[in-house]
Amino acid sequence: AEEVCVRTPLQKQQSLPLRPVIPLVARISDQNASGAPPMTVREKTRLEKFRQLLSSHNTDLDELRKCSWPGVPREVRPVTWRLLSGYLPANMERRKLTLQRKREEYFGFIQQYYDSRNEEHHQDTYRQIHIDIPRTNPLIPLFQQPLVQEIFERILFIWAIRHPASGYVQGINDLVTPFFVVFLSEYVEEDVENFDVTNLSQDVLRSIEADSFWCMSKLLDGIQDNYTFAQPGIQKKVKALEELVSRIDEQVHNHFRKYEVEYLQFAFRWMNNLLMRELPLRCTIRLWDTYQSEPEGFSHFHLYVCAAFLIKWRKEILDEEDFQGLLMLLQNLPTIHWGNEEIGLLLAEAYRLKYMFADAPNHYRR
Amino acid sequence: AVQEGAAGGSLERHCPTYIYKVVLLGSTAVGKSSLAYRYMKNDFQESLPTVGCSFFTKIIRMESATVKLEIWDTAGQEKYHSVCHLYYRGAHAALLVYDITNKETLGRAKQWLKELEKEFLHDEIVIALVGNKTDLAEEREVPAEEGEEFARSRSLLFMETSAKSNHQVKDVFMAVALQLLQREAEKAPAPRRGQHVDLGESRARTGCC
Repeated sequence: AEEVCVRTPLQKQQSLPLRPVIPLVARISDQNASGAPPMTVREKTRLEKFRQLLSSHNTDLDELRKCSWPGVPREVRPVTWRLLSGYLPANMERRKLTLQRKREEYFGFIQQYYDSRNEEHHQDTYRQIHIDIPRTNPLIPLFQQPLVQEIFERILFIWAIRHPASGYVQGINDLVTPFFVVFLSEYVEEDVENFDVTNLSQDVLRSIEADSFWCMSKLLDGIQDNYTFAQPGIQKKVKALEELVSRIDEQVHNHFRKYEVEYLQFAFRWMNNLLMRELPLRCTIRLWDTYQSEPEGFSHFHLYVCAAFLIKWRKEILDEEDFQGLLMLLQNLPTIHWGNEEIGLLLAEAYRLKYMFADAPNHYRR
Repeated sequence: AVQEGAAGGSLERHCPTYIYKVVLLGSTAVGKSSLAYRYMKNDFQESLPTVGCSFFTKIIRMESATVKLEIWDTAGQEKYHSVCHLYYRGAHAALLVYDITNKETLGRAKQWLKELEKEFLHDEIVIALVGNKTDLAEEREVPAEEGEEFARSRSLLFMETSAKSNHQVKDVFMAVALQLLQREAEKAPAPRRGQHVDLGESRARTGCC
Protein backbone atom coordinates (compact mmCIF):
# COMPACT_ATOMS: atom_id res chain seq x y z
CA ALA A 1 0.00 0.00 0.00
CA GLU A 2 1.18 3.50 -0.70
CA GLU A 3 2.12 5.61 2.21
CA VAL A 4 -0.98 7.62 2.75
CA CYS A 5 -0.68 9.20 6.10
CA VAL A 6 2.90 10.22 6.49
CA ARG A 7 3.54 12.24 3.39
CA THR A 8 4.36 15.35 5.27
CA PRO A 9 3.68 16.02 8.88
CA LEU A 10 0.56 17.77 10.05
CA GLN A 11 1.26 19.73 13.13
CA LYS A 12 -2.02 21.20 14.03
CA GLN A 13 -1.16 20.93 17.67
CA GLN A 14 1.75 23.29 17.33
CA SER A 15 1.65 26.34 19.43
CA LEU A 16 3.79 27.88 16.77
CA PRO A 17 1.95 27.50 13.53
CA LEU A 18 4.08 25.07 11.60
CA ARG A 19 1.58 23.23 9.50
CA PRO A 20 2.69 21.42 6.41
CA VAL A 21 -0.10 19.66 4.58
CA ILE A 22 -1.01 16.06 5.18
CA PRO A 23 -3.98 14.05 3.95
CA LEU A 24 -6.88 14.77 6.26
CA VAL A 25 -8.32 11.32 6.23
CA ALA A 26 -6.59 8.11 5.42
CA ARG A 27 -7.75 7.30 1.93
CA ILE A 28 -8.31 3.65 2.64
CA SER A 29 -10.50 2.86 5.59
CA ASP A 30 -8.78 1.91 8.82
CA GLN A 31 -5.44 2.71 7.33
CA ASN A 32 -2.55 3.09 9.65
CA ALA A 33 0.24 5.56 9.56
CA SER A 34 2.58 2.66 9.01
CA GLY A 35 0.71 1.73 5.84
CA ALA A 36 -1.71 -1.16 6.06
CA PRO A 37 -2.72 -3.59 3.34
CA PRO A 38 -5.71 -2.47 1.24
CA MET A 39 -8.44 -4.38 3.00
CA THR A 40 -8.22 -7.54 5.02
CA VAL A 41 -10.85 -10.21 5.21
CA ARG A 42 -11.64 -9.02 8.70
CA GLU A 43 -12.23 -5.50 7.49
CA LYS A 44 -14.46 -6.75 4.70
CA THR A 45 -16.53 -8.69 7.21
CA ARG A 46 -16.81 -5.64 9.39
CA LEU A 47 -17.94 -3.48 6.52
CA GLU A 48 -20.50 -6.12 5.62
CA LYS A 49 -21.78 -6.09 9.17
CA PHE A 50 -22.15 -2.30 9.07
CA ARG A 51 -23.97 -2.44 5.76
CA GLN A 52 -26.37 -4.97 7.20
CA LEU A 53 -27.09 -2.90 10.26
CA LEU A 54 -27.51 0.29 8.31
CA SER A 55 -29.86 -1.17 5.75
CA SER A 56 -32.14 -2.98 8.17
CA HIS A 57 -35.63 -1.64 8.62
CA ASN A 58 -34.84 -0.45 12.10
CA THR A 59 -31.15 -0.01 12.78
CA ASP A 60 -30.19 -1.49 16.12
CA LEU A 61 -28.40 1.50 17.60
CA ASP A 62 -26.87 -0.42 20.49
CA GLU A 63 -25.39 -2.85 18.05
CA LEU A 64 -24.23 0.00 15.83
CA ARG A 65 -22.50 1.63 18.77
CA LYS A 66 -20.83 -1.62 19.67
CA CYS A 67 -19.58 -2.03 16.11
CA SER A 68 -18.50 1.58 15.82
CA TRP A 69 -16.54 1.73 19.06
CA PRO A 70 -13.40 0.20 17.50
CA GLY A 71 -13.71 2.49 14.45
CA VAL A 72 -16.12 2.98 11.58
CA PRO A 73 -15.06 2.04 8.03
CA ARG A 74 -14.72 5.11 5.88
CA GLU A 75 -17.30 3.89 3.37
CA VAL A 76 -20.13 3.95 5.89
CA ARG A 77 -18.90 6.65 8.22
CA PRO A 78 -21.15 9.49 7.05
CA VAL A 79 -24.41 7.65 7.58
CA THR A 80 -23.14 5.97 10.75
CA TRP A 81 -22.21 9.34 12.25
CA ARG A 82 -25.62 10.76 11.40
CA LEU A 83 -27.20 7.86 13.23
CA LEU A 84 -24.86 7.80 16.20
CA SER A 85 -25.24 11.51 16.83
CA GLY A 86 -29.00 11.08 17.04
CA TYR A 87 -29.55 13.26 14.01
CA LEU A 88 -30.92 10.48 11.83
CA PRO A 89 -33.69 8.19 13.12
CA ALA A 90 -33.08 4.46 13.46
CA ASN A 91 -36.18 3.77 11.43
CA MET A 92 -35.28 3.51 7.78
CA GLU A 93 -38.55 4.89 6.45
CA ARG A 94 -38.31 8.05 8.47
CA ARG A 95 -34.78 8.90 7.45
CA LYS A 96 -35.39 10.55 4.15
CA LEU A 97 -38.11 12.75 5.47
CA THR A 98 -36.18 13.66 8.60
CA LEU A 99 -33.17 14.71 6.57
CA GLN A 100 -35.31 16.76 4.27
CA ARG A 101 -37.11 18.44 7.17
CA LYS A 102 -33.93 19.14 9.13
CA ARG A 103 -32.15 20.54 6.12
CA GLU A 104 -35.10 22.81 5.41
CA GLU A 105 -35.22 23.86 9.03
CA TYR A 106 -31.56 24.82 8.97
CA PHE A 107 -31.92 26.88 5.84
CA GLY A 108 -34.98 28.44 7.40
CA PHE A 109 -32.73 29.66 10.23
CA ILE A 110 -30.34 31.05 7.66
CA GLN A 111 -33.10 32.91 5.95
CA GLN A 112 -34.47 34.23 9.18
CA TYR A 113 -31.28 35.12 11.04
CA TYR A 114 -28.27 35.32 8.80
CA ASP A 115 -28.93 38.85 7.68
CA SER A 116 -28.76 39.97 11.29
CA ARG A 117 -25.03 39.24 11.40
CA ASN A 118 -24.21 42.86 10.72
CA GLU A 119 -26.70 44.24 13.21
CA GLU A 120 -25.28 45.73 16.33
CA HIS A 121 -26.20 42.99 18.78
CA HIS A 122 -24.65 40.27 16.63
CA GLN A 123 -21.81 42.21 15.15
CA ASP A 124 -19.16 41.07 17.60
CA THR A 125 -20.11 37.44 17.23
CA TYR A 126 -20.00 37.58 13.48
CA ARG A 127 -16.78 39.55 13.38
CA GLN A 128 -15.01 37.04 15.60
CA ILE A 129 -16.21 34.14 13.47
CA HIS A 130 -15.23 35.97 10.32
CA ILE A 131 -11.72 36.54 11.67
CA ASP A 132 -11.32 32.94 12.79
CA ILE A 133 -12.57 31.04 9.77
CA PRO A 134 -9.68 31.74 7.38
CA ARG A 135 -7.28 30.69 10.13
CA THR A 136 -9.16 27.59 11.20
CA ASN A 137 -7.29 25.26 8.89
CA PRO A 138 -4.70 27.48 7.23
CA LEU A 139 -2.56 25.87 4.54
CA ILE A 140 -5.17 23.29 3.60
CA PRO A 141 -6.53 24.32 0.20
CA LEU A 142 -10.01 22.93 0.88
CA PHE A 143 -10.56 25.40 3.69
CA GLN A 144 -9.26 28.38 1.79
CA GLN A 145 -12.10 28.22 -0.71
CA PRO A 146 -14.63 31.03 -0.28
CA LEU A 147 -17.57 28.63 -0.58
CA VAL A 148 -16.25 26.48 2.25
CA GLN A 149 -15.48 29.46 4.44
CA GLU A 150 -18.98 30.79 3.92
CA ILE A 151 -20.43 27.43 4.95
CA PHE A 152 -18.41 27.47 8.16
CA GLU A 153 -19.42 31.04 8.89
CA ARG A 154 -23.10 30.30 8.50
CA ILE A 155 -22.95 27.16 10.62
CA LEU A 156 -21.11 28.89 13.43
CA PHE A 157 -23.11 32.07 13.36
CA ILE A 158 -26.46 30.28 13.47
CA TRP A 159 -25.27 28.01 16.25
CA ALA A 160 -23.92 30.95 18.24
CA ILE A 161 -27.03 33.09 18.14
CA ARG A 162 -29.24 30.12 18.96
CA HIS A 163 -27.09 29.44 22.03
CA PRO A 164 -26.71 32.82 23.67
CA ALA A 165 -25.53 31.32 26.97
CA SER A 166 -22.24 30.50 25.39
CA GLY A 167 -22.27 32.18 22.03
CA TYR A 168 -19.27 31.66 19.82
CA VAL A 169 -16.07 30.69 21.60
CA GLN A 170 -12.81 30.07 19.79
CA GLY A 171 -12.37 26.36 19.55
CA ILE A 172 -15.92 25.69 18.49
CA ASN A 173 -14.82 26.54 14.96
CA ASP A 174 -12.52 23.50 15.00
CA LEU A 175 -15.42 21.24 15.89
CA VAL A 176 -17.16 21.75 12.56
CA THR A 177 -14.20 20.41 10.60
CA PRO A 178 -14.53 16.65 11.25
CA PHE A 179 -18.22 16.65 10.37
CA PHE A 180 -17.67 18.72 7.28
CA VAL A 181 -14.84 16.50 6.07
CA VAL A 182 -16.72 13.27 6.78
CA PHE A 183 -19.90 14.41 5.08
CA LEU A 184 -17.93 15.79 2.16
CA SER A 185 -16.05 12.51 1.79
CA GLU A 186 -19.33 10.92 0.76
CA TYR A 187 -19.03 12.73 -2.55
CA VAL A 188 -15.29 12.79 -3.05
CA GLU A 189 -13.11 9.98 -4.29
CA GLU A 190 -9.74 11.71 -4.22
CA ASP A 191 -7.98 13.69 -1.48
CA VAL A 192 -10.46 15.76 0.42
CA GLU A 193 -7.92 18.42 1.30
CA ASN A 194 -7.39 19.47 -2.30
CA PHE A 195 -10.94 19.03 -3.49
CA ASP A 196 -12.55 21.95 -5.31
CA VAL A 197 -16.07 22.21 -3.90
CA THR A 198 -17.38 24.09 -6.92
CA ASN A 199 -17.51 20.64 -8.53
CA LEU A 200 -20.44 19.79 -6.31
CA SER A 201 -24.03 20.75 -6.95
CA GLN A 202 -25.61 23.33 -4.73
CA ASP A 203 -27.98 20.71 -3.34
CA VAL A 204 -25.13 18.51 -2.24
CA LEU A 205 -23.32 21.41 -0.62
CA ARG A 206 -26.48 22.40 1.20
CA SER A 207 -26.90 18.88 2.54
CA ILE A 208 -23.33 18.77 3.78
CA GLU A 209 -23.77 22.14 5.45
CA ALA A 210 -27.03 21.31 7.18
CA ASP A 211 -25.86 17.89 8.33
CA SER A 212 -22.64 19.38 9.71
CA PHE A 213 -24.66 21.99 11.56
CA TRP A 214 -27.01 19.51 13.20
CA CYS A 215 -24.36 16.98 14.12
CA MET A 216 -22.15 19.68 15.56
CA SER A 217 -25.13 20.97 17.53
CA LYS A 218 -25.74 17.52 18.98
CA LEU A 219 -22.12 17.29 20.01
CA LEU A 220 -22.15 20.72 21.60
CA ASP A 221 -25.34 19.97 23.50
CA GLY A 222 -23.28 17.54 25.54
CA ILE A 223 -20.46 19.95 26.35
CA GLN A 224 -22.08 23.35 26.41
CA ASP A 225 -20.75 24.21 29.86
CA ASN A 226 -17.29 24.15 28.29
CA TYR A 227 -18.20 27.38 26.57
CA THR A 228 -20.50 29.27 28.90
CA PHE A 229 -19.24 32.17 31.00
CA ALA A 230 -15.93 31.39 32.75
CA GLN A 231 -15.97 28.01 31.02
CA PRO A 232 -16.93 25.99 34.11
CA GLY A 233 -17.02 22.71 32.19
CA ILE A 234 -13.39 23.07 31.27
CA GLN A 235 -12.27 24.17 34.71
CA LYS A 236 -14.08 21.20 36.22
CA LYS A 237 -12.63 18.74 33.74
CA VAL A 238 -9.10 20.01 34.13
CA LYS A 239 -9.44 19.58 37.89
CA ALA A 240 -10.84 16.10 37.37
CA LEU A 241 -7.92 15.27 35.11
CA GLU A 242 -5.48 16.40 37.75
CA GLU A 243 -7.24 14.33 40.36
CA LEU A 244 -7.30 11.30 38.10
CA VAL A 245 -3.64 11.54 37.15
CA SER A 246 -2.64 11.95 40.78
CA ARG A 247 -4.22 8.56 41.37
CA ILE A 248 -3.09 6.66 38.33
CA ASP A 249 0.43 8.01 38.00
CA GLU A 250 1.71 9.67 41.10
CA GLN A 251 5.18 10.00 39.66
CA VAL A 252 4.05 12.12 36.73
CA HIS A 253 1.79 14.12 39.00
CA ASN A 254 4.59 14.83 41.45
CA HIS A 255 6.92 15.69 38.61
CA PHE A 256 4.50 18.43 37.55
CA ARG A 257 4.28 19.70 41.09
CA LYS A 258 8.00 19.73 41.48
CA TYR A 259 8.44 21.93 38.43
CA GLU A 260 5.30 23.95 39.10
CA VAL A 261 3.49 22.90 35.98
CA GLU A 262 -0.23 23.43 36.32
CA TYR A 263 -2.64 21.22 34.45
CA LEU A 264 -4.58 24.21 33.20
CA GLN A 265 -1.48 25.39 31.38
CA PHE A 266 -1.64 22.54 28.92
CA ALA A 267 -4.97 20.78 29.42
CA PHE A 268 -7.15 23.81 28.85
CA ARG A 269 -6.67 23.36 25.14
CA TRP A 270 -7.16 19.59 25.40
CA MET A 271 -10.62 20.19 26.79
CA ASN A 272 -11.55 23.30 24.83
CA ASN A 273 -10.67 21.72 21.48
CA LEU A 274 -11.25 18.07 22.35
CA LEU A 275 -7.60 17.21 21.63
CA MET A 276 -8.04 18.42 18.06
CA ARG A 277 -5.01 20.68 18.32
CA GLU A 278 -2.93 17.81 19.63
CA LEU A 279 -3.81 15.22 16.99
CA PRO A 280 -3.87 15.02 13.20
CA LEU A 281 -7.39 15.35 11.85
CA ARG A 282 -7.57 11.72 10.71
CA CYS A 283 -7.01 10.71 14.33
CA THR A 284 -9.71 13.05 15.57
CA ILE A 285 -12.14 11.48 13.14
CA ARG A 286 -11.24 8.03 14.38
CA LEU A 287 -11.53 9.23 17.97
CA TRP A 288 -15.00 10.57 17.29
CA ASP A 289 -16.15 7.18 16.00
CA THR A 290 -15.69 6.05 19.57
CA TYR A 291 -16.87 9.22 21.30
CA GLN A 292 -20.15 8.90 19.45
CA SER A 293 -20.43 5.26 20.51
CA GLU A 294 -19.77 5.91 24.19
CA PRO A 295 -22.36 7.34 26.52
CA GLU A 296 -21.22 10.92 27.21
CA GLY A 297 -18.26 10.34 24.96
CA PHE A 298 -17.34 13.97 24.35
CA SER A 299 -17.67 14.96 27.97
CA HIS A 300 -17.04 12.16 30.42
CA PHE A 301 -15.06 9.64 28.39
CA HIS A 302 -12.89 12.38 26.92
CA LEU A 303 -11.47 12.89 30.39
CA TYR A 304 -10.14 9.33 30.49
CA VAL A 305 -8.78 9.72 27.00
CA CYS A 306 -6.90 12.84 28.13
CA ALA A 307 -5.50 10.95 31.11
CA ALA A 308 -4.41 8.06 28.89
CA PHE A 309 -2.95 10.55 26.43
CA LEU A 310 -0.93 12.25 29.13
CA ILE A 311 0.38 9.01 30.60
CA LYS A 312 1.34 7.85 27.13
CA TRP A 313 4.10 10.48 27.31
CA ARG A 314 5.21 9.69 30.84
CA LYS A 315 8.73 8.78 29.86
CA GLU A 316 9.21 11.98 27.87
CA ILE A 317 7.65 13.96 30.69
CA LEU A 318 9.87 12.46 33.37
CA ASP A 319 12.91 13.12 31.18
CA GLU A 320 12.24 16.86 31.22
CA GLU A 321 13.91 18.50 34.14
CA ASP A 322 12.57 22.01 34.09
CA PHE A 323 9.38 24.00 33.70
CA GLN A 324 10.20 25.33 30.25
CA GLY A 325 11.07 21.94 28.83
CA LEU A 326 7.92 20.42 30.25
CA LEU A 327 5.64 23.08 28.83
CA MET A 328 7.29 23.02 25.44
CA LEU A 329 6.85 19.24 25.36
CA LEU A 330 3.24 19.30 26.51
CA GLN A 331 2.31 21.92 23.94
CA ASN A 332 3.95 20.10 21.06
CA LEU A 333 3.47 16.40 21.66
CA PRO A 334 4.84 14.51 18.69
CA THR A 335 1.72 12.86 17.29
CA ILE A 336 2.24 13.79 13.64
CA HIS A 337 2.72 10.18 12.61
CA TRP A 338 -0.19 8.87 14.59
CA GLY A 339 -2.81 6.73 12.92
CA ASN A 340 -5.56 4.35 13.85
CA GLU A 341 -3.27 2.02 15.71
CA GLU A 342 -2.15 4.65 18.21
CA ILE A 343 -5.69 5.89 18.69
CA GLY A 344 -6.88 2.32 19.21
CA LEU A 345 -4.34 1.81 21.98
CA LEU A 346 -5.17 5.15 23.52
CA LEU A 347 -8.87 4.33 23.59
CA ALA A 348 -8.27 0.90 25.07
CA GLU A 349 -6.27 2.46 27.88
CA ALA A 350 -8.94 5.11 28.44
CA TYR A 351 -11.57 2.40 28.63
CA ARG A 352 -9.51 0.51 31.17
CA LEU A 353 -9.15 3.64 33.29
CA LYS A 354 -12.84 4.37 33.08
CA TYR A 355 -13.71 0.97 34.44
CA MET A 356 -11.03 1.02 37.03
CA PHE A 357 -12.37 4.23 38.49
CA ALA A 358 -16.06 4.02 37.75
CA ASP A 359 -17.11 1.96 40.75
CA ALA A 360 -14.34 2.82 43.12
CA PRO A 361 -15.60 5.43 45.57
CA ASN A 362 -12.13 5.97 46.96
CA HIS A 363 -10.75 6.56 43.55
CA TYR A 364 -11.69 9.23 41.13
CA ARG A 365 -15.38 9.99 40.92
CA ARG A 366 -17.14 12.26 38.53
CA ALA B 1 13.60 38.63 40.17
CA VAL B 2 14.24 36.51 43.22
CA GLN B 3 17.71 35.23 43.94
CA GLU B 4 17.75 31.51 44.08
CA GLY B 5 20.25 28.74 43.93
CA ALA B 6 23.16 31.10 43.46
CA ALA B 7 25.63 29.51 45.80
CA GLY B 8 27.59 32.68 46.05
CA GLY B 9 30.57 31.82 43.90
CA SER B 10 32.37 34.77 42.41
CA LEU B 11 31.92 33.46 38.88
CA GLU B 12 28.20 33.88 39.14
CA ARG B 13 28.36 37.53 39.89
CA HIS B 14 29.55 38.76 36.56
CA CYS B 15 27.37 36.54 34.44
CA PRO B 16 23.98 36.10 36.03
CA THR B 17 20.97 34.62 34.26
CA TYR B 18 17.66 36.26 34.82
CA ILE B 19 14.41 34.54 34.06
CA TYR B 20 11.42 36.73 33.34
CA LYS B 21 7.85 35.96 32.54
CA VAL B 22 6.47 38.07 29.70
CA VAL B 23 2.82 37.98 28.64
CA LEU B 24 1.37 39.05 25.32
CA LEU B 25 -2.07 40.59 25.74
CA GLY B 26 -4.48 42.22 23.31
CA SER B 27 -7.55 41.84 21.12
CA THR B 28 -8.17 38.96 18.83
CA ALA B 29 -6.15 38.84 15.60
CA VAL B 30 -3.90 41.81 16.35
CA GLY B 31 -0.87 39.59 15.79
CA LYS B 32 0.21 38.36 19.22
CA SER B 33 1.08 34.87 18.02
CA SER B 34 2.67 36.24 14.89
CA LEU B 35 4.91 38.51 16.95
CA ALA B 36 5.92 35.55 19.10
CA TYR B 37 6.51 33.43 16.02
CA ARG B 38 8.57 36.10 14.32
CA TYR B 39 10.63 36.58 17.44
CA MET B 40 11.20 32.85 17.96
CA LYS B 41 11.63 31.64 14.39
CA ASN B 42 12.20 34.83 12.44
CA ASP B 43 9.44 33.88 10.08
CA PHE B 44 5.84 34.75 9.35
CA GLN B 45 2.94 32.36 9.01
CA GLU B 46 -0.82 32.40 9.38
CA SER B 47 -1.52 31.37 12.96
CA LEU B 48 -4.37 29.34 14.31
CA PRO B 49 -6.38 31.29 16.87
CA THR B 50 -4.63 30.73 20.17
CA VAL B 51 -6.58 28.66 22.62
CA GLY B 52 -5.88 29.41 26.25
CA CYS B 53 -2.21 30.14 26.04
CA SER B 54 0.98 29.20 24.25
CA PHE B 55 4.35 29.19 25.86
CA PHE B 56 7.83 29.86 24.48
CA THR B 57 11.23 30.62 25.83
CA LYS B 58 13.91 32.79 24.35
CA ILE B 59 17.39 33.34 25.61
CA ILE B 60 19.07 36.69 25.11
CA ARG B 61 22.78 36.80 25.81
CA MET B 62 24.12 40.18 26.67
CA GLU B 63 27.48 41.28 27.89
CA SER B 64 26.47 41.78 31.45
CA ALA B 65 23.84 39.11 31.79
CA THR B 66 21.83 36.39 30.18
CA VAL B 67 18.11 36.90 30.06
CA LYS B 68 15.73 34.06 29.60
CA LEU B 69 12.29 35.19 28.58
CA GLU B 70 9.34 32.95 29.27
CA ILE B 71 6.83 34.25 26.78
CA TRP B 72 3.16 33.56 27.35
CA ASP B 73 1.07 34.19 24.29
CA THR B 74 -2.57 34.47 25.30
CA ALA B 75 -5.86 34.06 23.46
CA GLY B 76 -7.41 37.32 22.35
CA GLN B 77 -11.10 36.51 22.44
CA GLU B 78 -12.80 38.14 25.40
CA LYS B 79 -14.59 34.92 26.20
CA TYR B 80 -11.28 33.56 27.40
CA HIS B 81 -10.88 36.41 29.77
CA SER B 82 -11.85 34.38 32.79
CA VAL B 83 -8.86 32.11 32.40
CA CYS B 84 -6.49 34.76 31.17
CA HIS B 85 -5.62 36.18 34.53
CA LEU B 86 -4.17 32.80 35.41
CA TYR B 87 -1.62 33.39 32.72
CA TYR B 88 -0.55 36.90 33.55
CA ARG B 89 -0.30 36.25 37.25
CA GLY B 90 3.29 36.65 38.33
CA ALA B 91 4.36 38.28 35.08
CA HIS B 92 7.39 40.58 35.06
CA ALA B 93 6.49 42.23 31.80
CA ALA B 94 3.53 42.59 29.49
CA LEU B 95 3.26 43.50 25.84
CA LEU B 96 -0.08 45.16 25.16
CA VAL B 97 -0.56 44.60 21.47
CA TYR B 98 -2.97 46.45 19.22
CA ASP B 99 -3.49 46.60 15.49
CA ILE B 100 -2.71 50.01 13.97
CA THR B 101 -5.41 49.43 11.34
CA ASN B 102 -8.11 48.96 13.94
CA LYS B 103 -8.73 51.72 16.44
CA GLU B 104 -10.88 49.57 18.70
CA THR B 105 -7.95 47.33 19.47
CA LEU B 106 -6.09 50.25 21.04
CA GLY B 107 -9.06 50.78 23.32
CA ARG B 108 -8.86 47.14 24.26
CA ALA B 109 -5.16 47.48 25.03
CA LYS B 110 -6.00 50.37 27.35
CA GLN B 111 -8.49 48.16 29.12
CA TRP B 112 -5.81 45.55 29.58
CA LEU B 113 -3.65 48.22 31.12
CA LYS B 114 -6.36 49.01 33.66
CA GLU B 115 -6.57 45.39 34.53
CA LEU B 116 -2.83 45.07 34.98
CA GLU B 117 -2.81 48.17 37.17
CA LYS B 118 -5.28 46.47 39.45
CA GLU B 119 -3.06 43.44 39.75
CA PHE B 120 0.41 44.97 39.87
CA LEU B 121 2.15 47.91 41.44
CA HIS B 122 3.71 50.26 38.95
CA ASP B 123 7.27 49.13 39.58
CA GLU B 124 6.33 45.47 39.66
CA ILE B 125 5.84 45.09 35.95
CA VAL B 126 7.34 46.44 32.76
CA ILE B 127 4.67 47.25 30.21
CA ALA B 128 5.15 47.93 26.53
CA LEU B 129 2.46 49.20 24.22
CA VAL B 130 2.93 47.65 20.79
CA GLY B 131 1.20 48.84 17.61
CA ASN B 132 1.48 45.94 15.20
CA LYS B 133 0.90 45.62 11.42
CA THR B 134 2.88 48.62 10.17
CA ASP B 135 3.07 46.77 6.85
CA LEU B 136 -0.56 47.80 6.36
CA ALA B 137 0.30 51.48 6.42
CA GLU B 138 -2.40 52.47 3.94
CA GLU B 139 -5.09 51.08 6.23
CA ARG B 140 -3.78 52.78 9.32
CA GLU B 141 -6.43 54.04 11.75
CA VAL B 142 -4.23 54.84 14.71
CA PRO B 143 -1.53 57.48 14.12
CA ALA B 144 1.81 56.54 15.61
CA GLU B 145 1.69 59.71 17.72
CA GLU B 146 -1.50 58.61 19.39
CA GLY B 147 -0.01 55.36 20.64
CA GLU B 148 3.20 57.07 21.56
CA GLU B 149 1.49 59.87 23.42
CA PHE B 150 -0.66 57.46 25.40
CA ALA B 151 2.36 55.33 26.25
CA ARG B 152 4.29 58.38 27.41
CA SER B 153 1.44 59.55 29.62
CA ARG B 154 1.41 56.21 31.39
CA SER B 155 5.18 55.59 31.38
CA LEU B 156 4.96 52.59 29.10
CA LEU B 157 7.48 51.52 26.54
CA PHE B 158 6.19 52.06 23.04
CA MET B 159 6.99 50.62 19.67
CA GLU B 160 5.30 50.02 16.35
CA THR B 161 6.05 46.69 14.75
CA SER B 162 5.26 44.42 11.88
CA ALA B 163 5.46 40.71 12.45
CA LYS B 164 4.90 40.24 8.75
CA SER B 165 7.68 42.43 7.43
CA ASN B 166 9.88 41.92 10.49
CA HIS B 167 9.88 45.49 11.66
CA GLN B 168 11.16 46.14 15.18
CA VAL B 169 9.98 42.83 16.57
CA LYS B 170 13.28 41.87 18.09
CA ASP B 171 13.69 45.44 19.24
CA VAL B 172 10.56 45.49 21.30
CA PHE B 173 11.47 42.34 23.20
CA MET B 174 14.99 43.68 23.63
CA ALA B 175 13.68 46.97 24.99
CA VAL B 176 11.60 45.07 27.51
CA ALA B 177 14.56 42.91 28.52
CA LEU B 178 16.77 45.96 28.98
CA GLN B 179 14.19 47.71 31.09
CA LEU B 180 13.82 44.61 33.25
CA LEU B 181 17.56 44.49 33.76
CA GLN B 182 17.69 48.16 34.55
CA ARG B 183 15.05 47.72 37.21
CA GLU B 184 17.04 44.81 38.55
CA ALA B 185 20.08 47.03 38.85
CA GLU B 186 18.13 49.83 40.51
CA LYS B 187 16.71 47.66 43.19
CA ALA B 188 19.78 45.48 43.61
CA PRO B 189 20.97 46.92 46.91
CA ALA B 190 17.47 47.09 48.32
CA PRO B 191 15.86 44.07 49.93
CA ARG B 192 14.08 41.83 47.52
CA ARG B 193 10.48 42.50 46.96
CA GLY B 194 7.53 41.01 48.80
CA GLN B 195 7.38 37.33 49.39
CA HIS B 196 3.85 36.80 48.23
CA VAL B 197 4.12 33.40 46.69
CA ASP B 198 2.75 32.86 43.28
CA LEU B 199 3.64 30.94 40.23
CA GLY B 200 5.66 33.33 38.17
CA GLU B 201 7.40 34.93 41.09
CA SER B 202 8.83 31.76 42.46
CA ARG B 203 10.27 30.75 39.15
CA ALA B 204 11.82 34.09 38.46
CA ARG B 205 15.34 33.83 39.66
CA THR B 206 18.90 34.37 38.85
CA GLY B 207 21.29 31.57 38.29
CA CYS B 208 24.55 31.08 36.53
CA CYS B 209 25.07 30.81 32.84
